[in-house]
Amino acid sequence: MLQAQQQAQTTDIESRPAGTVAGRLLRAVRSGGSNSTLLRQIALVSLLLAAIFPLFGGSFFTRLAIEALLFGCIALSVDILLGYAGLLSLGQAAYFGLAAYVAALMYLHVTQSFWLVLLTASASVGVFSFLLGAVAIRAKGVYFALITFGVAEILSKITHNTRAIGGSDGLIGIPVPSIRLLPGLEIEFANNYVFYYLVLGTVCLLYLGTRRILNTAFGSVLRAIRDNSDRVPYLGYNPFWYKLLAYVMAAQIAAFGGLIYPLLRGFVAPHLFGFEVSTKAVVMSLVGGVGTLIGPLMGSVIITFLESVVGSYTERHLILLGIIFIVFVMFLPDGLCGLAQRTFGAGRKVKP
Amino acid sequence: MEDLLAYLHFVVLPQFIDALIIGVALALVALGLTMIFGLLDVINLAHGELYMLGGYAAFTLLGWGAGYWSALVLVPVLVGLVGWALEELGIRPLLPRADRAIVTLLFTFGVSLIFRDIAQVIWGTETRSVAAPLTGIANLAQVFVPIYRIFVFGAGVLAIAVTWWLVYRTQIGAVLRATAVDPSMVASFGIPIRLVYGFTFLYGCGLAGLAGVLLSPIYAVFPTMGHDFLVMAFAVVIVGGMGSIIGAVVAALLLAQVQGLASLWIPPVWAETLVYGVMLLVLVIRPAGLFNRLGEA
Amino acid sequence: MSKIATIAKLGVAGAFMLALAPAQAADPIKVGVVTPLSGTYAPIGKQVRWGAELVVKEINAAGGVNGRPFELLFEDEEANPPVAVRKAEKLLQQDKVDLLTGTVNSGSTLAVGQVAERNDRILVTTVSYAPSITGAQCSANVFRVNANAYMQSNALTSWLIKNAPGKRYFFIGPDYEMGRSTTSAFQNDVKRLGGTDVGATFPPLGAKDFTPYIGQIRAAHPDVIMTATAGNDTVRLLTQLKEYGILTDKLTLAGAAGAVTQENLGAMGGAGEGFLSAAGYSIDIDTPANKKFVSMFKKEFQHDPDLFAADTYGLFYLFKQAIEKAASTDTGRVRAAMEDATWQTPQGTKKIRKGDHQAVVDMVIVKVKGNDFQTVGKVPGEEAVGPDDCQKF
Repeated sequence: MLQAQQQAQTTDIESRPAGTVAGRLLRAVRSGGSNSTLLRQIALVSLLLAAIFPLFGGSFFTRLAIEALLFGCIALSVDILLGYAGLLSLGQAAYFGLAAYVAALMYLHVTQSFWLVLLTASASVGVFSFLLGAVAIRAKGVYFALITFGVAEILSKITHNTRAIGGSDGLIGIPVPSIRLLPGLEIEFANNYVFYYLVLGTVCLLYLGTRRILNTAFGSVLRAIRDNSDRVPYLGYNPFWYKLLAYVMAAQIAAFGGLIYPLLRGFVAPHLFGFEVSTKAVVMSLVGGVGTLIGPLMGSVIITFLESVVGSYTERHLILLGIIFIVFVMFLPDGLCGLAQRTFGAGRKVKP
Repeated sequence: MEDLLAYLHFVVLPQFIDALIIGVALALVALGLTMIFGLLDVINLAHGELYMLGGYAAFTLLGWGAGYWSALVLVPVLVGLVGWALEELGIRPLLPRADRAIVTLLFTFGVSLIFRDIAQVIWGTETRSVAAPLTGIANLAQVFVPIYRIFVFGAGVLAIAVTWWLVYRTQIGAVLRATAVDPSMVASFGIPIRLVYGFTFLYGCGLAGLAGVLLSPIYAVFPTMGHDFLVMAFAVVIVGGMGSIIGAVVAALLLAQVQGLASLWIPPVWAETLVYGVMLLVLVIRPAGLFNRLGEA
Repeated sequence: MSKIATIAKLGVAGAFMLALAPAQAADPIKVGVVTPLSGTYAPIGKQVRWGAELVVKEINAAGGVNGRPFELLFEDEEANPPVAVRKAEKLLQQDKVDLLTGTVNSGSTLAVGQVAERNDRILVTTVSYAPSITGAQCSANVFRVNANAYMQSNALTSWLIKNAPGKRYFFIGPDYEMGRSTTSAFQNDVKRLGGTDVGATFPPLGAKDFTPYIGQIRAAHPDVIMTATAGNDTVRLLTQLKEYGILTDKLTLAGAAGAVTQENLGAMGGAGEGFLSAAGYSIDIDTPANKKFVSMFKKEFQHDPDLFAADTYGLFYLFKQAIEKAASTDTGRVRAAMEDATWQTPQGTKKIRKGDHQAVVDMVIVKVKGNDFQTVGKVPGEEAVGPDDCQKF
């Protein structure tokens, strides 16, 4: 799925006489916000659709959309790693689950203050992702995928085996809280519409923030590392710190989804760390388009809704998911965003 | 002193022997996985489902009146052919891509989901079983081992030995090892690389099928059996070194002992978690595993 | 902020209007069945589904509930609580079901029970037997019509102590909530009744090989082995115990009601012979109602029913009776009608205990013989049911 982008990059280099890494870096930095207009249009249309969705959705679909956005956070974090740093994580659910458990335990035993919960969950994920990232990103290619898979598996086992935090049953009874924005101004999560717009707004901010950061020189170096990591150190950049920063950032985004999940569904279970959740996030970014940032969020909405609708007619959802995997890997490696680009944007390139 | 000897003889030794047999079974599943990675850079996430197919194929053949021994010969061939078809139709078109390790991993994952669901459609959700062709228990100095498990051990060791001989002592093996190092060099000698890759898949998946037949009388047959086994097989391949045949065998024996012996002293669920811990430790300290990959002697 | 508030008001108004839509007389009574139809627990889900389909066909053919037919809506929950909750919300909020049932593993039952509570609907489990569901984690919106682990343990151990030769008991429980709680109920009852606990082991759920625990079992020289495994785990456990020659004429095998069922007995190749369990149901219960149920079930599905199908089948007669008594599907009134209800099922009379919403079920001790289950003893429900531990309503 990276092939399309890499080809695009190759043409870039070839079109420049001085086709060196330095040249590519320079070009990437200069083109700054090189998101094509098309991607921006896709993002705008999606946001518009998302904004009016609850008017038609009813409470179930509005809540399902919240869940899709939360799982979309994992997909977004997979995309940051895969699309920009070239790292396939098969364990991004670890951070979703970790944040969900920290939030659930805080609400049940420590505090009802949303901000305190947010801080604790974010800090725990921050520390954990820093330590794990420092180890994992030194492994190359598939070994990174295997390490992330292993860690998520171990976390899932530990929560499953530890009866003090609910064991295999997980924890129920997490209250539906409210956030005190300012003294006297409270937001109630109990109202699905308020909840939805709050999550939509935050996910938009996360998306815009991520795009902003990845369009700076930081993102350019990251991509240069992805494409040619052996030569970047000679240019004075240490790939380690760039990758680590991307890894920690990605973990924080997945953690946001996890932190909100117990507030939506009222419980946590070891399944939230599961391989199914991690791999589904990978399909979501595949479907939307790896390296587009908006694609994975769309992919999450599509997959979540598809599963929910199809689920009423058949229990063969694994076949469905498998076919989606195969079709996108083999025939649409640049996802729906790539398809849109080829259909509508003749001549324009979708670039990360 | 006597107590200690009795403890070693009646508690630790049986545990060791049982884990040894499990280790060989595990090595059989892991062997195909590691060969395919060694040659093609492909992590075959559908490997567990090919093992499952082996179990179901044995169940079906026996249901049609075939004997166990003919199933033992037929099933690996059938499953091998399924693997070969997978390589031909799905893996090969993906190999030219720059990120082939990632895309083939995702492709085989999709295949595994489909196979698991199809098995449920064809064979239903109930657990199926295959009767063991050998019954009875051997008494080896007060350690009791079922005859069939001794047979599984022997057959497993034989399959491992044949694989080793094939890779390190034959002309085909020389080509395989050379391909693992430098496919273009091998191609320049006029050897068709696609045949080498096809054969690797056929053989590796055939081993998974063999494991499916051999283990079905002990572990029963049901749609999620491959998925359950794969995580453990992965741990083996990672610890042994992705692509290393000797590594897979050593790691399978080692991890089976870790789990078996550890469950004498710590709660079994934590023994299972410990195996993943060992895997992670190896990944962190020596990401490429304990042994070198195929071809890099 | 004002924008959000306006939209929020719009939403509330919309929901209010929907609530006012009048129910027509012939409106179906919708029952949502969230049950595992794929994955490891699919064989149980299949029995739940068949039981529900059979009973609904029967009740609707006889004129429904005050003229209203039952309508079933199935969702596959994959024995995965996050999926179960999503599917349950769909049934409740989108399909507007009146009642929920079907959950199998205790994690799903607890999580879906909470969803039912937050949506003011009732969930009845016909399979989960973890005591916490009607105990420490009980809910006013959750009922259980099958026998829980305490009841099974009570009935089974008191029968075993009287009838099984030998006093040495060994316990095997898969290491997850249902396995742990069932095993500890077994252990407590055995000790209370004068048996000897000679050891216990807790293999992981889904363990492939039980040989690491066989040495411990052999060394303990048990007279009775009690297990809380289910499905494929029981198949592997018992075939491997047989393989290793642990199963002899002197040893008694016993365990939880879900350990050996119609769905996995066939795969054991005789290793399940003589297995004893206490359940709220046995296929050979000699009553006209049960004979009719079994013959209809076999005719419809070419398959024997097991306890999951029977308990689900029986549940719909409770629904029917409660809705008729309440003259409404209003949750509060149905709940009131279900509490203290006594009703007829294939296995006889069941009664809901008001204090914790646990059904009092006469227990039968069932023994595996060949491919069949035979009743070898009975324990009255009142004797087996144990104390009411629910503190929440």
